[in-house]
Amino acid sequence: MSGQGQVSFRNIVKMHGEFAALKGVTFDIKPGEFFALLGPSGSGKSTTLRILAGLDAPTDGRVLIDDKDVTSTDARDRDIAMVFQSYALYPHMTVAENIAFPLEMAKLPKAEIAPAVKDAARKVKIDHLLDRKPGQLSGGQQQRCALARAIVRRARLFLLDEPLSNLDAKLRLETRAELKKLQRSLGVTAVYVTHDQEEAMTLADRMAVFMSGEIQQVGTPAEVFARPNSIDIAGFIGNPPMNLVPARYVDGDVIIAGHRLKTTTTTAGERDVVAGLRPGALRMTENGLGGRVDLIEDLGDTAVLDLDCAGTMIRVRVADGNIPGEGDMISITARPQDIHLFDPATRMRL
Amino acid sequence: MASTAMTSAGISSEAPRTDFGRVLEQRERRFAAALLAPAFLALLATTTFPLLFLVYTSAFRMDLAMPFTNGFVGLENYRVLLSDERFWSSLLVSLVYTGSTVALQVIIGLALALLVMDMKRGQGWFRVIAILPVVLSPAVVGMIWRTFMLAPEFGIVDFLAINAGLGSKNWLGDPTLAMVSVIAIHTWQWTPFAFMVLLASLASLPDDIYEAARLDRASAWQRFRRITLPLLRPAIVMVVIMRTMVALTAFAAIFTVTAGGPGTATEILNLYAYRKSFTELSIGYGSALAVALLIVTIVISGILFAMRRAK
Repeated sequence: MSGQGQVSFRNIVKMHGEFAALKGVTFDIKPGEFFALLGPSGSGKSTTLRILAGLDAPTDGRVLIDDKDVTSTDARDRDIAMVFQSYALYPHMTVAENIAFPLEMAKLPKAEIAPAVKDAARKVKIDHLLDRKPGQLSGGQQQRCALARAIVRRARLFLLDEPLSNLDAKLRLETRAELKKLQRSLGVTAVYVTHDQEEAMTLADRMAVFMSGEIQQVGTPAEVFARPNSIDIAGFIGNPPMNLVPARYVDGDVIIAGHRLKTTTTTAGERDVVAGLRPGALRMTENGLGGRVDLIEDLGDTAVLDLDCAGTMIRVRVADGNIPGEGDMISITARPQDIHLFDPATRMRL
Repeated sequence: MASTAMTSAGISSEAPRTDFGRVLEQRERRFAAALLAPAFLALLATTTFPLLFLVYTSAFRMDLAMPFTNGFVGLENYRVLLSDERFWSSLLVSLVYTGSTVALQVIIGLALALLVMDMKRGQGWFRVIAILPVVLSPAVVGMIWRTFMLAPEFGIVDFLAINAGLGSKNWLGDPTLAMVSVIAIHTWQWTPFAFMVLLASLASLPDDIYEAARLDRASAWQRFRRITLPLLRPAIVMVVIMRTMVALTAFAAIFTVTAGGPGTATEILNLYAYRKSFTELSIGYGSALAVALLIVTIVISGILFAMRRAK
């Protein structure tokens, strides 16, 4: 029943009237991969998932699953399981009936359904709640019930639409770790939609970053973090996000707020650029880019400083041991390979 | 005073406040009762009293044609009633009429609601047009059907029947066709009610569970059977209860169309009680029939409410 779970999107366009929700999206997902669709709300990631599920039809382009064109195949016939953001549990059925539903629809004999339901419920630790109705469950339990319903029938593709967004912070962290383990143990291809870059970074093998209906970058979380393709991605990934400051490039050097820093990026001549500096990649030094400490956010093990460098605001993450006082003048620097340069006109990486 | 208050503060400081609260509550309740009284008395006078008077009357022989036989007869009317074949046949007509009209209203209403739910445009217009029959007086509906729809040769239904090759039928003269006709008329008038209630209920069902069901590989029929129907159950039961109570006591539409005829073919219990009381002027026996109808209605709605609570 289960295939490989390999997915290809070929130039998918989705129009809502005049508005283009997706402007030609192309990507590939390898079998067994945990693939995240990351982006701010309205960027097209949920639309992409719904098109993959077969719940919406694309205006143009092709969807392939295991090399078979499924663009016009109904959701029923795609062999895909999905966890909805709202969980979409059947309110009139018990937890057991909810989990059994996809198996009943697949016309599995009753004798096989009961143990399969028990097994799925045990995997997500709700086997003691089988007789309850969804209305009697907490948000976390409902979420687990939705998960169980999705894993019970071993579909070739496992879609998750912001499954953790309705949980409280502590539960979200717990469930996140369990989700990853679950996906590993099932060995199934998972496609995960989220607007939380931290979730994508921690869960995904690879991710596609969506910005206003387009994919701006596909890669492993480490790649995207290390080499963001555009100003938008640079500002979206990482917490606190990358400092993006106007600067001037002069053969091999970049001048930020009057201070000259070495960079590894080479581009032609002399030009205006946007320099990207990760707060964690900045270090305090004797003789560097000077600034006044405006605000300190102490996070316990580290602190984030808001630095006023001649009118330019730069955030710096420093370790616990050497936190300056508010109002102090300090100076910072960065290694040449940690300075990202972007074109202010195209907003792309140089 | 002050010292007693201080010494007892720990033990009974609550007492005066609850006392005060009780007085206030009492006064409020009395005021509420006073506000309620006029409406309550009016209801008592117009519903409870006539009902009790009906039961009282049913214990008498009250024959306006033969007033010299009048007098208290106890349960005599009811004994006669139980062996009255016309009572049993009219009860049967009532049950057939009620059962078939309610079933048709729910089935057609649900089908229409499902159809209209999928309409992209014109839903609003459809609702307005659909509600029109409901606002008509049943007597008017009866007249329209008898003349405009069912009249031999000239009525629309008969005209269609002739053109369909069925030939002209005596829609209100043939016992079976007359029954079918009055059922059709009631269904025509009241299906929009079921339609509106079920449409509102359908519209309130979330989309996401249908998407989940599609991904769970449920066919359209399975989605209807396993999701829509169970979720609509409360609304359907409500429609059944409300329509059953009305159908059991229907009167005007049948009275204007067939007046219970031909013979007693469409004579529902309500109509029989009316005929007994006001045509044959046997008011005591007519009252007993009305009480019997009341009991039947209470029993049936009791069963329906019990079914509603179950599960």
